[in-house]
Amino acid sequence: MVSNFKLIAASCLTLASFTLTACGEKASAPKPADKTAAPAAPAANPEVAVAVTDTACEPASLTVPAGKTTFIISNKSSRPLEFEILKGVLVIEERENIAPSFTQKLTTTLDAGDYDMICGLLSNPRSKLTVTPNANAQVAAIPVTQLEAPIAQYKAYVLDETKAFVEKTEVFVAAINAGDMNKAKALYASTRAHYERIEPIAELFSDLDGSIDARADAYKKVEKDPEFTGFHRLEYALWSEKSLKGMKPIADKLLSDVKALQTQIAGLNFPATKVVGGAGVLIEEVANGKISGEEERYSHTDLSDFDANMAGSKKIVDLFRPLIEKADPVLLKKTDDNFASVEAILSKYKQGDTWASYDKLTEADRKALAAPVTVLAEDLSKLRGLLGLN
Amino acid sequence: MTTVHINDTQDTEQPKSPHRRSWLKGIGVGAVSLGAGALATKAYIDSSDGTQTKQDAYGTHQAGIITPQPAAAIIVVFDVLAKDKKGFEKLLRTLTDRITFLTQGGQLPQIDPKFPPLNSGIMGDKVFPDNLTMTVSLGASVFDGRFGLTDLKPQYLQDMQPFPNDALEPESTDGDLSIQICSNTAETCIHALRDIIKNTPDLMTMRWQMNGFLPPHMIRKLGKDTMRNLLGFKDGTSNVDAKNDALLNELIWVSDHANSAGEPAWAKGGSYQVVRLIRNRVEFWDRTPLQEQETIFGRHKLSGAPLGKPNEHDDPDFASDPDGKRIPHDAHIRLANPRTPETRKNLILRRGYNYSQGLSKSGQLNMGLLFVCYQSNLLNGFLTVQGRMNGESLEEYIKPFGGGYFFSLPGFAKGEYLGQGLIQAAV
Repeated sequence: MVSNFKLIAASCLTLASFTLTACGEKASAPKPADKTAAPAAPAANPEVAVAVTDTACEPASLTVPAGKTTFIISNKSSRPLEFEILKGVLVIEERENIAPSFTQKLTTTLDAGDYDMICGLLSNPRSKLTVTPNANAQVAAIPVTQLEAPIAQYKAYVLDETKAFVEKTEVFVAAINAGDMNKAKALYASTRAHYERIEPIAELFSDLDGSIDARADAYKKVEKDPEFTGFHRLEYALWSEKSLKGMKPIADKLLSDVKALQTQIAGLNFPATKVVGGAGVLIEEVANGKISGEEERYSHTDLSDFDANMAGSKKIVDLFRPLIEKADPVLLKKTDDNFASVEAILSKYKQGDTWASYDKLTEADRKALAAPVTVLAEDLSKLRGLLGLN
Repeated sequence: MTTVHINDTQDTEQPKSPHRRSWLKGIGVGAVSLGAGALATKAYIDSSDGTQTKQDAYGTHQAGIITPQPAAAIIVVFDVLAKDKKGFEKLLRTLTDRITFLTQGGQLPQIDPKFPPLNSGIMGDKVFPDNLTMTVSLGASVFDGRFGLTDLKPQYLQDMQPFPNDALEPESTDGDLSIQICSNTAETCIHALRDIIKNTPDLMTMRWQMNGFLPPHMIRKLGKDTMRNLLGFKDGTSNVDAKNDALLNELIWVSDHANSAGEPAWAKGGSYQVVRLIRNRVEFWDRTPLQEQETIFGRHKLSGAPLGKPNEHDDPDFASDPDGKRIPHDAHIRLANPRTPETRKNLILRRGYNYSQGLSKSGQLNMGLLFVCYQSNLLNGFLTVQGRMNGESLEEYIKPFGGGYFFSLPGFAKGEYLGQGLIQAAV
């Protein structure tokens, strides 16, 4: 499946900065605050000047009161540069491609606390932005800073999954290259599961997502298409062609793609909308592609993917649990119940560490899965709004 | 002649259609149907059900391209079975005859009831025009040597190559010959399709087809209001003005304009047709925050206005928004039509329909856009526009799964047949 961040991912990569959020934030709408700021009370906003150079922010540290602040950012270098405000790995605001000798305005609402600024290149050292308490500042229902900890924890989760993904892929690829079909078949589903758990993030890198995970029907010549690579090409060889002839280049490419993904994710700042929205996106994956058994059409290991997508979604819900609880406890309870319903059905098909073939599911169980999956998709689609994210 | 050409899908009474083709002026063909037409005209005008509305069969250009869209459409694509140029010519002549009859209407011949009827009978014993147009276009594969047409291929005509977000199903992609059938009702389109396949069984076979629809109440407001796609957004606000002949000659018709340089002489008066079958993941879309939906399109959902503007037809004014803060750089309308002097030559004439057909294998709705567009230069038109849209945020919600590139033949006059110039140019 393709991400709506495809273009963004590509353009970020060409910038040689792996900070996707720098681009990712661009896809989100302007905050209502931005729209109303200027006409409402232009004089009330403190304006702060920041110069961006190749290497740093000038001044190197800033202090502003909580609430709305307008940053006047001027590029004092000879090339296009960017400016970011971060809270940990969370990008709060950014301006990219500020032309040399040009000035841009950025108005944002900040809660009290310590922030970082990055000027110039994203690899530059961070500068300090201190936001002091301000009794007059409007307080958001859920301050954006409260998202910092769960997003940092989510990043740690994704990095763990990615690390395991690389390690398992190494063993899987070794089995393919050794011609050990049984071993490769046994490893296939559990290796992929790591990818399926973190799909909202992995998909940000659309080229790699395509070469690692695309299905044959993404290609005009279907299975015979030379562009068809990755897990599903090997799945086709293992279960359908029943031959690994000519698969070494495919296997080697898979491993290098998976390692490239790890490198990319390591350098990624996680956009809050993407992380929180990811809970629903994972369920959409199930609703659109997994229920039908199209994803693993040769191996019928769909239940493994299904379970991994659910686990990835539930992880996000768990990380944001206190915030969701505060915002809508009824929805949280309902979500927990629906996750439990899905798990109850899936557990019937769990066989030790593996899963029954998807074609073994009864028609009644397939139908029974549809209801909680659809309700989860509906309910989790509200999470971003619930947490005040644009 | 023009009085016959009543288009009662217009809100206001327009005795002279603004879309009538100027070639008619002063040539004899105008008189052809005038005898019958003039007598019947009054009845047509009084008729409010649209069944007697007719579009000219003859013209410099085929009908169905700049003709205002009626409510129903079928795109059907065939593989040609004819074995040689003679057989292909027979196919074109047969299509010409059937199209002329079906679009103008008339009495069906009586036959011996011991035989199957000649016609489906959906319209009764007297076929009525019902605003029918049938637009015949050729795929690149027709020029593969079977019919001796290799050297006559329009220069940009090619099989459809997948864009990164496409998942083209071979069984719904490409083909030798497309017919775009449009009329006021689905039944008239179906009647026409069944007539065609009954008359050409030895000459071509169906490869794929898709039915499309638009709301009749909106059709009546064409030009004043814009259709919505099944994602609920207005689609086609900035379409090429089909009344501007200079613009049409540059951007839509293969002509003497520089945009058509290098095309074979026979192709003049034709146009490149693009068909794309684009599934919309509507359930997923309906679970997407409104603000994000609007950011993805770059328009307000209900009014259709560009983000931050009050009215649908307001200039999106990208120049005042260089950072993409109001309308993001990857918003659909910004990528589709950046409205710069350099991208003016990329404008296309969109003529799409919505489609809905059953469910996906996952039990989700299989519905979306039957996208059709026309342009004089496929490279400057669709290929460039779609190239710009690769990676747009909308891709998460849409999946193009079929379609093809075709070349819509020039029109034909009375006594001529479709593609006659092509056949005569062949060795």
